[in-house]
Amino acid sequence: MGFRFHKKPRLKSPVLIACWPGIANIGIIAVDTLRETLEAEEFGEIEPWDFFYPQQVSIKSGVLEDLEFPASKFYFKKTASGDLIFFIGEEQPAAAGKAYAEGGKAYQLANLVLDVAQKFGSRRVYTSGAAVAPVHHTMTPRVWAVPNDRSLIAEVRKYENTILMSEVEEREGEGNIVGLNGLLLGVAKKRGLEAICLMGEIPIYLQGLPFSYPQASKSVVEVLSRTLGIEVDTTRLDEWASQVEEEIEHFYQQVPPEIKKQLEKLKHRPYAKPSEPSPITEEDKGKIMEDIDKLFKKRGEED
Amino acid sequence: MSQRQPVKIHRRPELQSSSLVVAWDEDAGQLGQKVTDYLIQRLGGEEFGEIEPEDFFSLGDVRVEGDVAQFPEGKFFVCPQDDLVILKSAPPQFEWYKFLNLILDVAGHYCQTKELYTVGGMVTLTAHTAPRALLATSSSPEVKEMLSRYDLIPDMDYQTPPGQRPTLSSFLLWVAKGRNIPGVSLWVPIPLYLVANEDPQAQKKVLQFFDERFALNLDFEPVDRKVREQNEKLAQARLRLPEIDEYIRRLESNLKLSDEENETLSQEIAKFLREEEPGRRGKTK
Repeated sequence: MGFRFHKKPRLKSPVLIACWPGIANIGIIAVDTLRETLEAEEFGEIEPWDFFYPQQVSIKSGVLEDLEFPASKFYFKKTASGDLIFFIGEEQPAAAGKAYAEGGKAYQLANLVLDVAQKFGSRRVYTSGAAVAPVHHTMTPRVWAVPNDRSLIAEVRKYENTILMSEVEEREGEGNIVGLNGLLLGVAKKRGLEAICLMGEIPIYLQGLPFSYPQASKSVVEVLSRTLGIEVDTTRLDEWASQVEEEIEHFYQQVPPEIKKQLEKLKHRPYAKPSEPSPITEEDKGKIMEDIDKLFKKRGEED
Repeated sequence: MSQRQPVKIHRRPELQSSSLVVAWDEDAGQLGQKVTDYLIQRLGGEEFGEIEPEDFFSLGDVRVEGDVAQFPEGKFFVCPQDDLVILKSAPPQFEWYKFLNLILDVAGHYCQTKELYTVGGMVTLTAHTAPRALLATSSSPEVKEMLSRYDLIPDMDYQTPPGQRPTLSSFLLWVAKGRNIPGVSLWVPIPLYLVANEDPQAQKKVLQFFDERFALNLDFEPVDRKVREQNEKLAQARLRLPEIDEYIRRLESNLKLSDEENETLSQEIAKFLREEEPGRRGKTK
């Protein structure tokens, strides 16, 4: 169980930006956009067979040619404002039937990723994911930031379009981050590394839909690029977001009026200004989720 | 406290060299299980070890199947007269790579295994009246060359379709290849409507290969009898259920059935064969 390096770049205190797939792939799209835009170079990978079930077999003329596993790759980029390491995992090492890693395998993988980062002198880690929120899809998604140490809170408060868990209504600074994008924060903390998870907001009624939500990925990209002092061209992300917006609008048109009435209430942010009366109650939220579930079931039966 | 061992060996087989045959539960038409049961029974196979489940299976609950509580098992058998080692096992739920290496470790360490065979059924949308084919995937061109003297199809091309995953047998073959153990994955396409039951014709096809490959001199009468009995039952089903007869005739003419028709055919045949089981006849209407 270990990693393989194709090359060993000389890096100076590189910042690690790591991500695995999650809800609507918000985090991984953000991190991959940065990696791609900066043309980061692959330099190593984690050996997959101890963590993953293979994803493809190739048999050619009766002979087993190859077995492909989900990739867990490292990339690096030297920029004017500092060196970066990207880690992108195509899959979380989850047990059969589960989407998110947990237990021993997740812990081993998180440790391997940080082993590599520390080998190159990393002291700072970012991960990214999704924040399922009672918001409307016409609003610009915010970024929820969770640092792994109180000393980072002051820094996070300076990030634009970003809120802490304590600024989310009724959360009082509490919540949980499922899977490796969250676990890495904890493992980094154990090692004394600074880490921050940046989660792009996705409306609660879109989390189960079979498409990505690049709008939220863009919000994460904007926060990361400003923080890291790098320029990132988001044209492709914008184009993709426009396409997804059309799909969402198409879906939204089919939502029955009584459910849409509930969803419209989400246009008023229920948090960020906790002193104001909330336009949407917990009862409303419960009703929305119930109605959306019913709508999906109905659509599924129609399909 | 002593360290827990992932395998329990009841007795050490004394083999100078052996071939390993692996079959998984939850196989189409129970092909691997039926073939290995046949080999164990006819060749006087004896259990010599088992894989401890806790590293590889979720033991939080017990599955009930056919009214009976199930428990994941991975048992090794040896047929010493024929230098054959057999593993019958449930597919692991996690730690697949460790599990597959463990199989090869046990077979190599205790039985000096030199080659690997996996057996599995795959689904086909053809009629049961068509002859069964035996498909083989080899771990190397040399193994493929060795197979050329047998009645099988050794040269298929295949790539896992999107949304699906490779089989555990392919994974095992890949692990064996990495350890320079020659291996073959054997597959028999089984008519969809026999997948939930069993397919003695498919069993015979694999058994014939093993008989020839290992010079086993197997008695085929029991499997021949099962083939005859199943064919008779299916002929009765066609007589009694005109809709089913029509579906099978269309398959015999290489015509496709809709998903709904395939489902009806599978359900009706499974129901019919179940009702015709000894001891059940007349119990249900």
